[in-house]
Amino acid sequence: MSAERYNRQIILKGFGEAAQQQLLKAKVLVIGAGGLGCPALQYLAAAGIGHLGIVDDDTVSLSNLHRQILFTTADIGKLKTEVAAKRLQEMNPQIGIVTHPIRLQKDNILHILSRYDYILDGTDNFESRYLINDACALLSKPLIFAAVSGFEGQLAIFNSADNLAGSTNYRDIFPVSPGKGEIPNCAENGVLGVLPGIIGTMAAAETIKLITRTGEPLRNKILNYNLLTHQQYIIKISQANNYIMPKTVAEFLNMEYQDTCEAPHGYEEIDAAALNELRQQESVILIDVREKHEVPVLDKQVFTQVPMSELAAFITKGFSQKHVVLICQHGIRSVAAAEALQEKFGTAKKIYSLKGGIVKWRDYFMRA
Amino acid sequence: MEIEIISFGKIAEFISNQKIDIAEIADTDSLKAHLEIRFPELKDIKYKFALNNQLIQANSAINHNDTLAIMPPFSGG
Repeated sequence: MSAERYNRQIILKGFGEAAQQQLLKAKVLVIGAGGLGCPALQYLAAAGIGHLGIVDDDTVSLSNLHRQILFTTADIGKLKTEVAAKRLQEMNPQIGIVTHPIRLQKDNILHILSRYDYILDGTDNFESRYLINDACALLSKPLIFAAVSGFEGQLAIFNSADNLAGSTNYRDIFPVSPGKGEIPNCAENGVLGVLPGIIGTMAAAETIKLITRTGEPLRNKILNYNLLTHQQYIIKISQANNYIMPKTVAEFLNMEYQDTCEAPHGYEEIDAAALNELRQQESVILIDVREKHEVPVLDKQVFTQVPMSELAAFITKGFSQKHVVLICQHGIRSVAAAEALQEKFGTAKKIYSLKGGIVKWRDYFMRA
Repeated sequence: MEIEIISFGKIAEFISNQKIDIAEIADTDSLKAHLEIRFPELKDIKYKFALNNQLIQANSAINHNDTLAIMPPFSGG
């Protein structure tokens, strides 16, 4: 270890050589090399975390760059884990970096998590968050939880007992995952790039505090941070007993983490090719459920505009077409709309949702 | 009696931070029912109460000048 590299934190009162050695010995896994993961990884690597793992199965895209600051324009299309590992290794060649370019699932997560001491969740969906939470609880791994929405962030540490109580986990706050479309994600709702930068950096700080036993990490506490006002509100988490938590590997493997769209439903998720075929049919209505200000603007002769805010009234009014195709920007609100229509019409109408939305099939919509 | 309400995320879009007078309400279960009538959007979203910075896991008494936080889950990254 080069003491000079870490000199400014080693000389810090209350930190010192011993803390630096603890960082060097620590094995930290960052899940999601996105808006939260990038700044967290940068500070963890720079601080000298000895073994740093990165999980992400995605590639860099242009709309990532305003917040995922490990990547450059030239990296578009490349695997995030590879680009991130290269940059971080250049910044600090003294640490070990391992990449896991995969999507974590029930059948691979326990194996990967078991190789690390601390897990940082910087993912962007509830499916992954509940999977990671349960796996960490099962393996008793401290979990640093970071999430953002709009101009706000949440930060917490789970599975790490404090002096007063035992440990808590995410299900003690929210026992079951929200339904599709219930809570908008960044792709739907937008996010100011600097917000995950702040929350991701705070998550790195909590990780370092936890490893080196410095200060008061957010054990059994969840911090709500508002970027617009700098208001911070900490809530103490107590244990709940109203949820099911897998206690064994066998129970864990039997849990259901898939998005609700994977389960059989009264509606069908389709791709652009199926949409094109449906358009040839008789008695079809194509409904664009995005708000009126959203772009790209679709041909209103072809796509009927019914923003989500007006959907209930539209359903009540009724319409004659038998086939209904719902379209939105990313295929999330359209699923919520499909569920609403399903509830009203049952099997009387055939309901479809365009999976991945206009963003995924942009080429098709630009031609159409 | 008067309490202060603090809300986060999507909930803040329809319940702004405010002081409200809840003369007839003595506990968090009654307050939940009251708020879901006054703000019907609340019924369609998962959320958790915290009273004076403590997460509420069971019905709890509310006192004058308490602070109630209403927190939804965030998933973005």
